[in-house]
Amino acid sequence: MSKANKNDKSRRKFLQNLGLAGVSAVGGSALLLQGCSDPKDSASGKKVKVLTQDNQLVEVDVANLKPSDNIKDLDYLQDRGREGIPGKKFVMVVDLAKCKNARKCMTACQSAHQLKPEMHHINVLEMNDPVRKTSYYMPKTCQHCDNPPCVSVCPVDATFKRQDGIVLIDNERCIGCRFCVAACPYSARTFNWTEPKDAEKFAEVTYNMELNVPQKKGTVTKCAFSADRLREGKLPYCVSACPNGVYYFGDSNEDLVTNGTTKMTVRLSKLLQENAAYTLMPELGTKPSVYYLPPRQNKG
Amino acid sequence: MNYYKYYKSIILICLCFLAVANANAQSDWEIPEKEQENVSFIMFDDDMILEGSIAYENSCTSCHGTPGQDDYMPMAPSPGDLASDQFQEQKDGTIFYKIKKGRGSMPKFEDVFADDETWNIVAYIRSFNKNYKQPIPDLGGIIIPEYKLKLDFDENVDKLVVKVFSKEIPQAEVDVSAFVKGMFGKFLLGKTQTNELGIAYLDIDPQLPGDAEGKLHIMVKASKGYGLAKLNQKMKMVQPTIHKSAIEGRHIWSTDEMAPIWLKTSFFITIFGVWTILFFIVIGFYNIKKAGREDLH
Amino acid sequence: MNDTLSKEILTDEQIDQDLLKNINWGNKFKLWLAFLAVSLIICLYYYYQQIEHGLGVTGLNDYVSWGIYISNFVFFVATSLIGMLISSVLGLMNVSWVKPLARIAELVAVAFAMVAGLIIITDMGRPDRLLNVFMHGRVQSPIVWDIAVVVTYVAISILLLYIPLLPDIAICRDKLKNVPKWQHKMYKILALGWKGKAKQFKLMHNYTRILLVLIIPIALSIHTVTSWLFAMTLRSGWDSPIFGPYFVSGAFVAGCAAVIITMYFFRKNYKLEKYITIDHFDRMGRLLVLVALVYVYFNINEIIVPAYKTNTADAKHVQEMLSGHESIMFWMVQLGGLIIPFLLILFRPMRSPLPLMLISIVILTGAWFKRVLIVVPTQLAPYYPIQNVPEKWTHYMPTIPEIAITAGSFILVLIIMSVLAKLFPVIPIWEIKEDIHHNKN
Repeated sequence: MSKANKNDKSRRKFLQNLGLAGVSAVGGSALLLQGCSDPKDSASGKKVKVLTQDNQLVEVDVANLKPSDNIKDLDYLQDRGREGIPGKKFVMVVDLAKCKNARKCMTACQSAHQLKPEMHHINVLEMNDPVRKTSYYMPKTCQHCDNPPCVSVCPVDATFKRQDGIVLIDNERCIGCRFCVAACPYSARTFNWTEPKDAEKFAEVTYNMELNVPQKKGTVTKCAFSADRLREGKLPYCVSACPNGVYYFGDSNEDLVTNGTTKMTVRLSKLLQENAAYTLMPELGTKPSVYYLPPRQNKG
Repeated sequence: MNYYKYYKSIILICLCFLAVANANAQSDWEIPEKEQENVSFIMFDDDMILEGSIAYENSCTSCHGTPGQDDYMPMAPSPGDLASDQFQEQKDGTIFYKIKKGRGSMPKFEDVFADDETWNIVAYIRSFNKNYKQPIPDLGGIIIPEYKLKLDFDENVDKLVVKVFSKEIPQAEVDVSAFVKGMFGKFLLGKTQTNELGIAYLDIDPQLPGDAEGKLHIMVKASKGYGLAKLNQKMKMVQPTIHKSAIEGRHIWSTDEMAPIWLKTSFFITIFGVWTILFFIVIGFYNIKKAGREDLH
Repeated sequence: MNDTLSKEILTDEQIDQDLLKNINWGNKFKLWLAFLAVSLIICLYYYYQQIEHGLGVTGLNDYVSWGIYISNFVFFVATSLIGMLISSVLGLMNVSWVKPLARIAELVAVAFAMVAGLIIITDMGRPDRLLNVFMHGRVQSPIVWDIAVVVTYVAISILLLYIPLLPDIAICRDKLKNVPKWQHKMYKILALGWKGKAKQFKLMHNYTRILLVLIIPIALSIHTVTSWLFAMTLRSGWDSPIFGPYFVSGAFVAGCAAVIITMYFFRKNYKLEKYITIDHFDRMGRLLVLVALVYVYFNINEIIVPAYKTNTADAKHVQEMLSGHESIMFWMVQLGGLIIPFLLILFRPMRSPLPLMLISIVILTGAWFKRVLIVVPTQLAPYYPIQNVPEKWTHYMPTIPEIAITAGSFILVLIIMSVLAKLFPVIPIWEIKEDIHHNKN
């Protein structure tokens, strides 16, 4: 181990928890930021404009980008946003039995994505259960379908599916025809009918497709599975914000999903199988990437 | 009827008293002096907090709720919010002791969690206190064993073989836990102890998808007393999986570039064909003009 | 044999005089045009507001994100389809009575199709990015198909209006002496040196024939593709394989009504009673009965089939129409705008010009609301409940700017038709002459 030769004095102070987690976390996110499989290839040659804390524009090699960097290079962000994260296929599991309508997900999402109160990337609906004569709460996001009807109809490639399964919107390209809004059977999309919230505040921000901020008047917006956070190896905003352990999120290629509240990681296949998971309206053939675990019978 | 009402209010008042008394219950809980001074020998870090949060969510949330949310159960004595100043005032050793021993409706977790796991929970609770400074333990005079780990995979029985040594000598009865590293967290493969040969075996599900070479990113932790070792290694254990891109192939929903060939060709042939005819007719205007002039002679 | 023309024998001079009469810039017309222009400017002001403040000035919302703009677009595309039916289908079948009406039908087609293309721009959230459709167009998107076919249809319709107009433009060039200089120059250029030579006629006939054949599939596809904007989605009420023919049959009803109304006003204003006869109205009335019958048939299919299946989302959609929120509008449109007018036209007196024109206005109004019924209710019944949004998002009511912009599209159609009718004869002079010569012999 690299820290085996630490001097005795510091060891007396504390037994370091041989910081594997720390090292691997940093390594992991650097790898994702770079978007290429070999983190050791430290000089990719591609330079990107970054705004430093003292408001200076500097050029940084793509390989040396840090998650906190304020990237000012629209072209780079656009390319990266369309490219996606190789080797991943993101899925979400929503455990309806645990949802208590705390709506922390909705708040976190709206503040992250510069949304007005009536605009929802995620919307917790009160659903009627016709069989049990009760109601349950159902958070509804974009389903990131593997056969996305919204993407099919887009006339300009403004909404598209990435290799990691995420369906994104490029609001620099969107013409605002709202065909995708009409085509989505899950009503997952929302539109900037007027000037977005805090438009002046975001005027200088470089558009990041993965966050879809700054929002633009006359364009469509929707859940992006927090693609910006995934790039840093973090869970989506809504998933981390939930106090009730409703959300699991992960990479189906790993067959592992992590609960946003407990941070417990479980096998996706097992979770789905043991809890009789279902997807929304499978009969439409949209193949959603969001799974639901059924609500509990005697919920208060 | 009136009597009944009376009765009810008396009960209510009694309950209120009880509640007030219970609010103080925390401070009434006497902890031996020595236990109070107990501190963690390991510095709290993100990894401990993460594991602590998992343990907390599974064993504590049902009564204590999520720290900072004030969503604990209305019980007597009150569990209280763990992020509150009142709770955070307590010493690490006090919290550690309370988790271990329990009292009344607070269960005893001594047999559930090993000491290091209990400290994980303390670390998690402390992560809600911005002003918290971890007390520095005095490790003077304590011999800290240095463990070395060696990992192997027995493909005949699908087991991860963990060997724990200290100075080349196999160590028995060391707690070993192994995880698979996922993108957002660690998947627990299992917890066990080394046998007298210093070897621990952990089951590996061959169905687990590996990378393109069938490797899994394994994280192993071994601890006993003050001794702690961790190892992080990619090992060939399962079937290789080729990760397909979600946008492979030509579909109606693909980008224009990857549009189905039949659609692209039929669209462009039709448009091209029709416009060629229109173009031909517009060119024909010239013929009409010419025809008018020709006959002039 | 053309028995719809009035029996009296008309001389060539008489015909020229009658049919060129409309080409003058009288004060009455100027007043009319000024009125239209002022109205259009008011509507444009509202469009400016929409550009400035976003589509939020409309009654649209995240659930009903397509409203009367799209309904109006569908209506315009529908109405423009009549050009194909009258000039092409009936023309190719040598139905000679439609000949004097072909140009009117083409005028209606050109005006409505051109404005349809503009309406779709008013519905865009980012009209400034219109070019993206051409730069980044996705061949899989029905919108791209729609734009392609609408543009093609406009082009063919213009050619089909223009080419048979050549001999008449030449007449204008030769006979109209007291027109403004630019107008005379325009005739000279547009006439393409027309001398009425046999070869010129032959070329004209050839080109027209090609266009008449070509316009059939294009016209069918323009409205079929427009129906696909809805049918290609997975929404209940839209997800229907018969939407194409359903829309096309509806289009003929709206188009016939529009042509009848146009005929009536041209006839009255330009004193064309000898050329657009009562018999023409009678026949157009019968044509309207025929296409309305086909449309009723498709309506029955569109309603009965899902309604039979009691519990699907489609069935619920139909229930909403038959007895739910939308029922008043639905029955007004179906009974008042289609069935009753259709039954009335069955009686001969109702096919005389004035009653037929009035009935056509009712049918056309019904047809417009029918498009709203196709577009809006489906969106008000999404698969998942409408919650956590302002209460007004659970229904749809167009706002004043929205109505004004829509009205603007109609004004634009009136302007185009009025101006074209002032520049060119609305009845093909040379064909009338040809017909009369033919009859004489």
